[in-house]
Amino acid sequence: MRDRLEIKNLSKKLGSRMVLRGVSFSAETGDLIVLTGENGSGKTTMLRLLAGLSRPTGGAVLWNGSPYGIEHGSIGYVAHQPMLYDNLTVWENMQFFANLYDRPLTAIEGLLRRMGLWVFRHELAEILSRGMQQRLALARVLLMDPKLILYDEPFTGLDSAGQELLREALAGQKQKTIQIVVSHTPHLMAGLSFRHLKLADGKAHWGGVS
Amino acid sequence: MNGYLRNIKVVYFRDLKQELRGLDEFLSMVVFGVMLVFITSFAFQLTDVDTSRILPAVLWVTIFFASELAVQRSFAREKERNAIDALLMALGDKSVLFYAKALANFTILLVFGVIILPVLWIFCDVSLRGVNLWLLVFSLVWGSWGLAAVGTMLTAMTVQLPNSRLLPILMFPLLIPLFIAVVRCTDLAILGVTEGALGWVYFVSVYDLLFSLLPLILFEFVLEG
Repeated sequence: MRDRLEIKNLSKKLGSRMVLRGVSFSAETGDLIVLTGENGSGKTTMLRLLAGLSRPTGGAVLWNGSPYGIEHGSIGYVAHQPMLYDNLTVWENMQFFANLYDRPLTAIEGLLRRMGLWVFRHELAEILSRGMQQRLALARVLLMDPKLILYDEPFTGLDSAGQELLREALAGQKQKTIQIVVSHTPHLMAGLSFRHLKLADGKAHWGGVS
Repeated sequence: MNGYLRNIKVVYFRDLKQELRGLDEFLSMVVFGVMLVFITSFAFQLTDVDTSRILPAVLWVTIFFASELAVQRSFAREKERNAIDALLMALGDKSVLFYAKALANFTILLVFGVIILPVLWIFCDVSLRGVNLWLLVFSLVWGSWGLAAVGTMLTAMTVQLPNSRLLPILMFPLLIPLFIAVVRCTDLAILGVTEGALGWVYFVSVYDLLFSLLPLILFEFVLEG
């Protein structure tokens, strides 16, 4: 069954500023949406609302018609910050989230090898470079087998090999997930078929298909 | 329910692992506690005050300061690289985070109390004869749990704010009833007096129960970003 995400008239006030003013759009499994907009246009706020990390001021996020109906553990979020524990090793970071998501530990090795992190598995996350931390954050998300994946500037800090790994992950997840990517560099996603959504003045505007 | 308890266990043991990895921070907390005990007991020895009567107050002031350090540290690790967001998304029920962190902070405070109490005993020159050990253990265990529970809840509330130095200001008024009760319990335990202790025991139990159950309802909103 194809899952359906509907954002209906979503608004969010941060401080005294209305960042989002009635944003509406929908997506289905297989959709890859690139969300663009100027700094402060509300892209990250939008992702946080979709991730359930923040409550909307108005409007609703519907998953298969149900408000906040997405099952726990089905949303993956690759944020601007890698969301890792510095004083845990690469393996321990993955093990911790595998235990929380009730995923087999055997899945970790394959993912770490795929991301080129296997050799660093005993190293503390804090000694990894920004790009390697970003790869680890991606591995953590792929571990949980999500239905909706949110990416906030995922190409930041990645070298060309890392960018290629990310493109492979985006392509690999396309058939089974809805993916929303906030990016100022959509050209890095060349070759991937995506819809372009632009946030401006608190509203979303479709910008065509690439 | 199995998933709920499993997640509490997973986060609890990860917290303790991180605490052990940063053992120097715990040791500095112990050194701070020993210094506080030494200075206070030394100052009171210069007066006519019976130092055994000040032991409960010094003990709980020391544990209070330690609890502030412990709870702030445990949430600082979550905030370092915004790991708390990934954690909250993984947990589903946010109260899991409260129980796991409160238990981890409680364990740290208990270990700290077990180290500090003998030091205090020596410096205050208190006789062990006639001490009501059960009441003393009750005070230490349930007093530490109350501190850990209130501290964890308030730290979670302030951790999303830019200025988390609000913690002591919020923590102190809420802890006054607990302090009065545990200081009385500890005092009665040292004196070996059981008369009147039951009322304080009930008081501490009800206080702890309240602050153990409140986060079940509140924690969902407490961590709202």
